[in-house]
Amino acid sequence: MRIADCEIKNNIIDFRDVTFVFEGKTPLFSDLTLSIEKGAFYLVQGPSGAGKTTFLRLITRLEEPVSGEIRFQDKPFDSYSPPVLRRSLLYIQQTPTVMDGSVAENLLMPFSFKNNSHLTQPGHEKLGALLREVHLEDVGLDDHAMNLSVGQIQRLCLVRGLLLSPEMLLLDEPTSALDRESAQAVMALIERLNVESGLTILIVTHKTYGQDRIKPRYLVIEEGRIEESS
Amino acid sequence: MTHSVIEIGPYQLLLALVFILAAGGASLYHGLRLEKDLLVGTIRTFAQLFLLGYVLKFVFRLDSVWLVLAVFLFMIVFAVRIIRSRIKEKQVSFFWPMLISMTISYALVAFLITGVVIGADPWWKPQYFIPLAGMLIGNSMNAVAISLDRLLGELKKRRQEVEMMLCLGADYREASKDMVKNAMRAGMIPSINSMMAVGVVFIPGMMTGQILAGADPLIAIRYQILVMVMLVGSTAILSFLGVRIVCRRCFGPAQQLLLRPEKNSRNR
Repeated sequence: MRIADCEIKNNIIDFRDVTFVFEGKTPLFSDLTLSIEKGAFYLVQGPSGAGKTTFLRLITRLEEPVSGEIRFQDKPFDSYSPPVLRRSLLYIQQTPTVMDGSVAENLLMPFSFKNNSHLTQPGHEKLGALLREVHLEDVGLDDHAMNLSVGQIQRLCLVRGLLLSPEMLLLDEPTSALDRESAQAVMALIERLNVESGLTILIVTHKTYGQDRIKPRYLVIEEGRIEESS
Repeated sequence: MTHSVIEIGPYQLLLALVFILAAGGASLYHGLRLEKDLLVGTIRTFAQLFLLGYVLKFVFRLDSVWLVLAVFLFMIVFAVRIIRSRIKEKQVSFFWPMLISMTISYALVAFLITGVVIGADPWWKPQYFIPLAGMLIGNSMNAVAISLDRLLGELKKRRQEVEMMLCLGADYREASKDMVKNAMRAGMIPSINSMMAVGVVFIPGMMTGQILAGADPLIAIRYQILVMVMLVGSTAILSFLGVRIVCRRCFGPAQQLLLRPEKNSRNR
């Protein structure tokens, strides 16, 4: 096996000559080629409107490139059913969204989907433990999710995603609505998952990264290009 | 019980224009600026209905299955065009799938009513098939337009929610289930409401027409019941089919929602 092959095998996502354009606009990305390494911790940065959110949406097939190919674990995207792919590459939107119902109902909602039916539904004990880990100890499982604050909903959405045991976590400004303490708790959880479980992390953030437990890799998006910088 | 129809002459028709003049006067008095629309509407009513009268006379006289089916198809094409024009959301095209599904479902319901229930011989007998198909298309067209407008509006408004579910492993059906349900309900409610109110709040046009033309009211009500039931059935079939077909077209091959939010309202 050649070294190049080993490198390919170690990537979770590969962009090959990907061009993306919003209809009637100039291309946002042209012939983009890059790799996301499995188990790495990335921070995606760049000016507003540069395409950071679109980059995450391309990885989860919420947007489709006009040309080029994106691969997951060295297989073309088309070889996975979109729901299965999205559950593996879990994207949590910038605007956290919950349904009308209790906290428990919201957390367990993904388990009602056909493609998730093989997953074991967690018990209330596990749900409570995860909520505590993101400083949601005051939130009861029977509380109405829509009555929570934006910051609480943001953390609830993170917990809901983690329950699906994804292989990669794509977060769009996950701490934007959080106070310093809660933001630190969320980042600590994400770091722990990266270090202990090898979960690949990709975070879009404007904030500077102040933790020293992990040395993140930076992807800087500017003028249609994405470059890795240290 | 039959009696001869009192014929309405050209002078009597002109006399009826007094009502339009009254409406025009009210518009002028209150500054509604509806005079032009009233004039165009009146001219179109006269022209279109006279034209329809002559076309029906011609079709009835020729008694040809192909001509009947051509008229039927013509009505459906226009119905789909009207539905398309009524829907504000233009990002998803659905002309052909709607045309095909409407043709199949209308043909099925119209055939069942004329050929099986009424027992017209032949089943396409123009006197029965064309007016019944016309009522069917006209009424369910409104229901389909309401359903589709609701579906597209909700999918666009609740895009965040749909995408959240997609991201959590839902397929497009699961992610849009709530919107599909609401759209179908919105389309079905007017025809159910009219079943509640018929005979109490209003006397339907078809029944009125038959009674005016000398039919026994007890025969007229049977036709009316048939029409009401047929309308509810076709509305249900078409709302169901139309909403499902259009919903699928709102999602791309990767089951991604294609409806975009309004310009400049989304992060890049």
